[in-house]
Amino acid sequence: MSGLLPLAGALLASGATAATDPGVPLPQGWIGTTSQWIQGFGVAFVVLNVILLLLAWRRLRAADAPSNMWGWLLVTLGLVPIMVAFMTFAHGLENTTTVSACGSCHVMTPFVQDLRDVKSDTLAATHFKNRFIRESQCYTCHSDYGLGGTLKAKLAGLGHVWRYTTGLYEVPIKIAQPYPNFRCLGCHGESQKFLNSPTMKPMLPELMSGQTPCLTCHGPAHPVQKKEARR
Amino acid sequence: MTDQPRRLRLLRIAIVLALVFNLMALLALVRATPIIFTLFMFLAQPLFAAALVLLVGAVLAEPRARQIL
Repeated sequence: MSGLLPLAGALLASGATAATDPGVPLPQGWIGTTSQWIQGFGVAFVVLNVILLLLAWRRLRAADAPSNMWGWLLVTLGLVPIMVAFMTFAHGLENTTTVSACGSCHVMTPFVQDLRDVKSDTLAATHFKNRFIRESQCYTCHSDYGLGGTLKAKLAGLGHVWRYTTGLYEVPIKIAQPYPNFRCLGCHGESQKFLNSPTMKPMLPELMSGQTPCLTCHGPAHPVQKKEARR
Repeated sequence: MTDQPRRLRLLRIAIVLALVFNLMALLALVRATPIIFTLFMFLAQPLFAAALVLLVGAVLAEPRARQIL
């Protein structure tokens, strides 16, 4: 076990380095994010579990009866895998909201490329390059707020994975439903700059009720996809 | 005690399933893309559940063999 802790430490350190832009200094005493710690402990638990499973296999071969191994087997096949499942679930849930996770499907490449293009002036790229949204930019704009929003987004994501892997989608891909104003207003709605803007003030009731979509004036949020986008 | 080899076989299958579960979990921990995470959720976790069921089956087989249960 003592050998696993340095491994977890090394993984955490490498994760922290990878997650940070070069040149951006980290705060003094930086110990990584919660997700990186969960990832490190998750990997350590997997290594521990594999070692325990191999030892259990060896002991089973040597033993005639497993009667004296129930405690050992309960830990190896029950308790440690539960920890692994929990850590992997927590890390996966968090990590599948990142821009790189969304960009891992090639149909998203044009959108992610546009986000990362510092010269792009699309609404999404402006939010990304100026870090108006600090992290998980795709997920933040494309999920509703609260627990219900997370559940809805994860279910929709499951549908996306299904359609992507089975090829049941058409290019150019389109947003499933009209983009609702409340996703913009979740951040902008209580901003004094927005509320007191001479342009916005007369339109506030229409914007708040969703009668006039924000994207009527501020869209399109992403670049228009080329027809020849390949599957 | 004729079902002793059967019990050992169940436990061995459980260990193999748990190993596959761990490898898939490792993959999801190192590279959590939506597809890998979905595989972990819908393939790896049921494998772990099956391993647990086999363990419980093997545990219960012993008192049954002794006619306690």
